[in-house]
Amino acid sequence: MESISSKYASPTRQSRVAIGIILIKFIRFTLRSFWPLVLSLFIGRKAGNSFEEVIGYVALGIAALNLLGSVLTYFRFYFHIEGGAFIIDKGVLKKTKTNIPFERIQTINLQQNLLHQMFGVVSLEIDTAGAKKSELTIDALRKEDAEALRKYILEEREQLVDKTSQESAQVTTAEREEEVEETILSLSITDLFKVGVSQNHLKSMAILFAFVFSTLNELTDDVEDLVREQLSGFEEYVVTNSWIVFLGSVIIVAIIAFLYSLINTVLKNFELKLSTRKRGLKLVRGLFNREEISINRSKVQTISWSDNPLRKAFKMFTLEIEQASSAQADQLKAKIKIPGCYHQQVKHVVQMVFPFDISSEHEKHRVSHLLRYRLWLTVSLLPALVVILPAYYFWNPNALWLLLWIPTSLLAIELYYRKRSFELTAEMLRNNKGTFGNTHEIIQLYKVQAVIIKQSWYQRRKNLATVELSTAAGDISIPFIAMEKAEALENYVLYKVESSTEKWM
Amino acid sequence: MTDTFQNLSVNISELPEVKHSTFFGIEQKYLSVTLIVTGVTFLVLMVGAGCIVYFSDEIDNGLTEFGLALGPLLLLWIGSSLYSIKAFARKRYSLREKDIIYCKGLLWRKRTSVPFNRIQHAEIKQGPIERIFHLHSLKVFTAGGDSSDLVIPGLKEENAQKIKEYIMGKTALDGVDQQ
Repeated sequence: MESISSKYASPTRQSRVAIGIILIKFIRFTLRSFWPLVLSLFIGRKAGNSFEEVIGYVALGIAALNLLGSVLTYFRFYFHIEGGAFIIDKGVLKKTKTNIPFERIQTINLQQNLLHQMFGVVSLEIDTAGAKKSELTIDALRKEDAEALRKYILEEREQLVDKTSQESAQVTTAEREEEVEETILSLSITDLFKVGVSQNHLKSMAILFAFVFSTLNELTDDVEDLVREQLSGFEEYVVTNSWIVFLGSVIIVAIIAFLYSLINTVLKNFELKLSTRKRGLKLVRGLFNREEISINRSKVQTISWSDNPLRKAFKMFTLEIEQASSAQADQLKAKIKIPGCYHQQVKHVVQMVFPFDISSEHEKHRVSHLLRYRLWLTVSLLPALVVILPAYYFWNPNALWLLLWIPTSLLAIELYYRKRSFELTAEMLRNNKGTFGNTHEIIQLYKVQAVIIKQSWYQRRKNLATVELSTAAGDISIPFIAMEKAEALENYVLYKVESSTEKWM
Repeated sequence: MTDTFQNLSVNISELPEVKHSTFFGIEQKYLSVTLIVTGVTFLVLMVGAGCIVYFSDEIDNGLTEFGLALGPLLLLWIGSSLYSIKAFARKRYSLREKDIIYCKGLLWRKRTSVPFNRIQHAEIKQGPIERIFHLHSLKVFTAGGDSSDLVIPGLKEENAQKIKEYIMGKTALDGVDQQ
């Protein structure tokens, strides 16, 4: 270990491959911000304008600038270790020196995209418990160096943290002994395929539509004109065979959406492996972009697992682990989704992170059946009235078909109500819900940040209340339970939080 | 109540109850702040609506037109002022040994409790109209996001300061406990 601290005692540059990786990052950034411009220039060229040469020079200029930028960035980026802190010195035009004390480092994640994989390097991301700009990235380090560096920093940090609290020092030495990594889940090709097939395809359809429309919007001011122009030859055909065309396009869109979510899932979760680590879990996955995420047990706020009708057929769940996050920008990163877990694996993870047995039986507390009426009103009837009546009178008599919304939503509400329940044990609260699928979420009571009881005038007449438990990773809500129960829950959760001295983050 | 939940580490009926703790009302003067803020908001809205009617070429400048534009706003103004007056008495706070509680709302009631050992920091704020009445708001932040932050408005300066110090003393103490 001494060698690491001496190796990085003086300012060090990244691996030389970094130049290439930074260059590609630059080019991608330029393309992403200027692609409408580039595209319009190309279209302009096609129309026969004499821009051709200008375009060539502009492109050449941008490329040269990018190359110069990446070389300079590489040579002006140093990092080293000094006095229990990680120091980064960088910047060409604006020089910055960042000093991160080890104890402020939360996690260090390694990532590999295709280019990294080709050269055997990784990028290293340091997450700190700081304010908004809470992370630092080193673009390329040799894989073994990065791993050694991470190990060294995390071990040093632990010792620093231990010095401040002697009580936990004993715990960590005990934990250090069981440092063996144990694989909980490694997704096989068949399982990966099952996950892809059972993805929520409606969601990817929505994403695709959003993407296509926003792109078209950026390209032409009038999407309708474009479509009409492209389809002018087919117009007659379309009008006479509208049903066939409609069905055909539905099928095509469905197939594209299916393939999109399948490919996306396979790329993202390729060779997914979840294993136990000293203080939590480690997740590795991805084909082109290989990511490695560490999950710290004490930072985990909620664990949830859910299925949908397709997944249910495969007996699979999506596991979701949410960690505490300080900055709003990190919120996405703090939420880790692991698809394709079987019941046994979910059980194992929950057991490991929270000491809780998910297959043990607890008393299920149902919510009041009056929740149904509230939902009928707000989800089913009111939207129907607001949308369908005006549509019928002012637009098209066919709008009455939308009335189908009412029975559909009534059915969904009934399913939701039947599945809605919660369970309370001495240390945990488990929430069960879902309409077509099932979702279960668990929190540890002592990690709750605030307890909120809400009561509308209707609920007060029926002596009901809604309880919200805020955690550092979002709120847990239990609607429409008896006021006495809500108050008992309030008192008990506050007692658990206030009598706890454990670290909640 | 005793048999609401079973198998917990303590008997729930023996725990201190939030609803039975001593609650304090906030300063009566804060009602004026609320009414002035509502008043200013609605005045701005009504002036805006009046301008639209007056300057628009398509709308006549008759009494009916102005009435239709401003009448509903006036009714809303009166309604929300009456509601504020009625609901004012519901704004109450309580300090216990280990947490701080704030209640509000007449039709939609809300009670937020934040344990001292989850408070990140506390601050005292004062808006322009609060300044006229020498009132302050105390805001308590947790890691739980916006919905769990607790704001007690309408406090005298020495009161707000005292509560803040009490809270900060408690959070510091909890920090010592943990080590």
